Amino acid sequence: MKDDLKDKAKSRELSLIIESSPHIRDKDTTPKIMYRVIISLMPAVATSFYFFRWRAILLILISTASAMITEVLCLMARRRTLKTVLDGSAAITGLLLALTLPPSLPPAMAAIGASVAISLGKQVYGGLGHNIFNPALVGRAFLQAAFPVAMTTWIPPVTLKVDVATYATPLGNLKFQNAIALGTLTPLKDLFWGNVGGCIGETSAAALLIGAIYLILKKTIDWRIPAGIILSLSAFTTVFWLINPDRYAPPLFHLFAGGLIIGAFFMATDMVTSPITRAGIWLYACGIGLIIGVIRLFGGLPEGVMYSILLMNTFVPLFNHYLRPRILGERRPKK
Amino acid sequence: MAKKKTFPRGVHPEENKEFTSHKPLEVMPSPEKVFIPLLQHFGAPAIPLVKKGDEVLLGQKIGEGKAVFSAHVHSSVSGTVAAVEDIIHPNGYPVLAVVINNDGQDRPSPEIKPCSNPLTLTAEEIRQKVREAGIVGLGGAAFPTAVKLSPPKDKPIDTLIINGCECEPYLTADHRLMLEFPEEIVRGAELARRAVGANRIIFGIEDNKPDAAQSLERHLNGFPAEIVLLKTKYPQGAEKNLIYALLHREVPRGGLPFDVGVLVQNVGTAKAIWEACALGKPLIERAITVTGPMIREPKNLLVRIGTPLANIIAYCGGLVDHARLIILGGPMMGLAQSLLDVPIIKGSSGLVALKEAYLEGEFPCIRCSRCVDHCPMGLVPTQIVKFIQFEKWPEAESWGALDCVECGCCQYICPSKIRLVHWIRLGKNYLIKLKRKKSPS
Amino acid sequence: MAEKTRKQEFFKGLWGENPITRQLLGLCSVLAVSNAVINGLAMGLAVTFVLIFSSLIVSLIRKIVPNQVRIASFIVIIATFVTIADRTLAAYFPHLSKAMGPYVPLIVVNCIILGRAEAFASKNKVSRSVIDALGMSGGYFLTILLMGLIRELLGNRTILGYPILGKWFSPWVVMLLPPGAFIMLGLIIAISNVIDFKIKERQKRV
Repeated sequence: MKDDLKDKAKSRELSLIIESSPHIRDKDTTPKIMYRVIISLMPAVATSFYFFRWRAILLILISTASAMITEVLCLMARRRTLKTVLDGSAAITGLLLALTLPPSLPPAMAAIGASVAISLGKQVYGGLGHNIFNPALVGRAFLQAAFPVAMTTWIPPVTLKVDVATYATPLGNLKFQNAIALGTLTPLKDLFWGNVGGCIGETSAAALLIGAIYLILKKTIDWRIPAGIILSLSAFTTVFWLINPDRYAPPLFHLFAGGLIIGAFFMATDMVTSPITRAGIWLYACGIGLIIGVIRLFGGLPEGVMYSILLMNTFVPLFNHYLRPRILGERRPKK
Repeated sequence: MAKKKTFPRGVHPEENKEFTSHKPLEVMPSPEKVFIPLLQHFGAPAIPLVKKGDEVLLGQKIGEGKAVFSAHVHSSVSGTVAAVEDIIHPNGYPVLAVVINNDGQDRPSPEIKPCSNPLTLTAEEIRQKVREAGIVGLGGAAFPTAVKLSPPKDKPIDTLIINGCECEPYLTADHRLMLEFPEEIVRGAELARRAVGANRIIFGIEDNKPDAAQSLERHLNGFPAEIVLLKTKYPQGAEKNLIYALLHREVPRGGLPFDVGVLVQNVGTAKAIWEACALGKPLIERAITVTGPMIREPKNLLVRIGTPLANIIAYCGGLVDHARLIILGGPMMGLAQSLLDVPIIKGSSGLVALKEAYLEGEFPCIRCSRCVDHCPMGLVPTQIVKFIQFEKWPEAESWGALDCVECGCCQYICPSKIRLVHWIRLGKNYLIKLKRKKSPS
Repeated sequence: MAEKTRKQEFFKGLWGENPITRQLLGLCSVLAVSNAVINGLAMGLAVTFVLIFSSLIVSLIRKIVPNQVRIASFIVIIATFVTIADRTLAAYFPHLSKAMGPYVPLIVVNCIILGRAEAFASKNKVSRSVIDALGMSGGYFLTILLMGLIRELLGNRTILGYPILGKWFSPWVVMLLPPGAFIMLGLIIAISNVIDFKIKERQKRV
């Protein structure tokens, strides 16, 4: 009996941990995912510096800092641990927002936008994981509504060496200046490399695609979302282009112009605000692509990426609820 | 090369099988004292047949499983009964057990009678011998094998699957069994096939063990059996997923394999069936893997049922000092132990010692959908957990909480480290309780 | 439940049962016309006028109106006062009346007024009903004024048309638009919820 007690004492000394299974975990963590997204945006940050110089860097720094400060203030107000500021999610929101701002925007407005993005886009719902809308896009939508003039005033990239105060984006050119008839549609090469007017981070499709490929290879974002958006938008624009090429721009133009690449690969793929099931993901992605097409071709605005993603965000809880995958062995009643 | 058969989704944890996969099974000497719980299986506990002071022989029946869902318990040593008392079961609750002081002589019980030609036994005789030997499923769930071998008449079984996947990381005991006892396994499988009247046997083995497949292949002559290599993926060895991978049949929700005409047995169980029929030997020892970075000399062992964990660890050179987590079973589904005096039971497939459990905090769910993309049962773990956390029981059930097999894929893959399986287990227990209340039958 | 004192009857409308932040009644006019302080003032006064007089009359006739036609008669009474308010406004402040659009006539169907008539005035003495109406309209008035102040300040840099913030401040146009109204109202309700929660917690502790 004494031996028994000794054994018991020994195992107490070991102070073994009781935890329910599984006892091993994958190495990937939420902060790692967040920082991977930030890294993947670095090529876009670099090209924004190349095309718009210090204005771009200033906007990015101010926006990111404002997002993180707002996160701290909200967490303090909500009496939550401040550690989660470092999980990178606030920084992503600030960075993504900055990349979708026009280069001539006053930095104070960027700060307001980032602050609204975090407070009204994320923290009012209960913080990370609870928001319905993509926070960066909430911030951008707020800025668009609050400062409509500043948000639609564009300057040419420094590399173009044109001396004009304002300059139309390729999509604005298409919509308001009859670019197809005049033959001034922006060439695809410029669109791809980013040598055009537009938001600081979304002009260069090449830089964004480098980051996007990295994220897809790391399985951080779901390739189905950008694929669905690109396919549906291409299909939609191809149909109209074939009907009347004198009036509608070719599909490749639509893919590389405006915020489509950054929207499809970085905004729509935000995990929190995209569906969790395969069927939901396809529906969500195709919905975004189609709404972008409708807005760009027939709407009053030249660009529709932001509103279409926000609109489809509202459907995500519905998709998650009604499109659950089939359980192994489940027989669904035939209708 | 043709695409290897497998099931959809699932995860690829680090295998870590190299600790022990090359080490032959070693017979561990019987300990001075064994603690044999009377409940080592799924179902009702066995009723003790001995009392303090009685002399028992090796293989003597000491507990009788009277209920249908129960199994006999046998002495794994010869000696005298020191006590019949409550001890701590590996599952963490007290259970009645027979404690036997080993005299070290292994005097066999006269109940053990070899059979000269077991392959001539009838189905009923095989079932009888399996029941007498107290055999339960050795894969982990410990379902009484005799019950499994008696399927209902209206559900004929056409295929017997022998599960040699051993998809749990670290564990290699089944692998070694297939290498060292191929003949026993094949013959045991044949007996099980005859007992249920199936017309073929399929051995499902993960493709990380080609040597095991070759070893079995040599003994298949004359039996209606084939070997199928499966992709190495967790949980390939889970019953429902294995059936889907091999036959593309889906066990209906809440159903059992015989609903689709299939019976699944573990390789260890097949070996035990053969030994019970040919040698009359009851289930008194089993193969386990003692491994993990915190064990000084990882080994594959044949140990007596009832051997305390402390003895096994000591036999394997002891623990490295800062081991904090000792798991009975594999790291994905095994049970963490707090005391080292709990015994090895029939369902214990391994003993894994790890340095540290994951105890850091959780992050909020960011709906990354990885748990959905990896759940082998096609569930939405994050949503089920939310329903359980907010006590929405009907929703939790209709979303399949009870279909969860607790394989642990979701919690393994979750980047926010949320204890999904923990919550689902809690919810399952509550749901089952609710159901019992509703139907008192 | 013990009967409230008159003071309590008045103050419950301002805070505890504030029609906007607590009962979420009559939100449509608050959202629509709070884009400038002057509009809020006018709307608040109109509602106060209608609410007090309709409560008074409803309370007076509460014993002689048959139950089956009470809603119809309440509406007639309310509509009478709304018409008086609307025409007065149109006669003396035509610009303001135009800026308010259809929202003054729409007071007829404002839930606060019918709600107080049905839930309170038709069951209580005249003096009590008037005090209740004063409190409720006070709560409405203060909330719409607060909304108007913030929205006009942020959206137009001014209060009552006088510039308050300097040229450095670029106005948030969104605040004058419907989204701004929703955001502000949401925030005001949220903040008042938090304060209310704190007050109750303190009372519990005492």
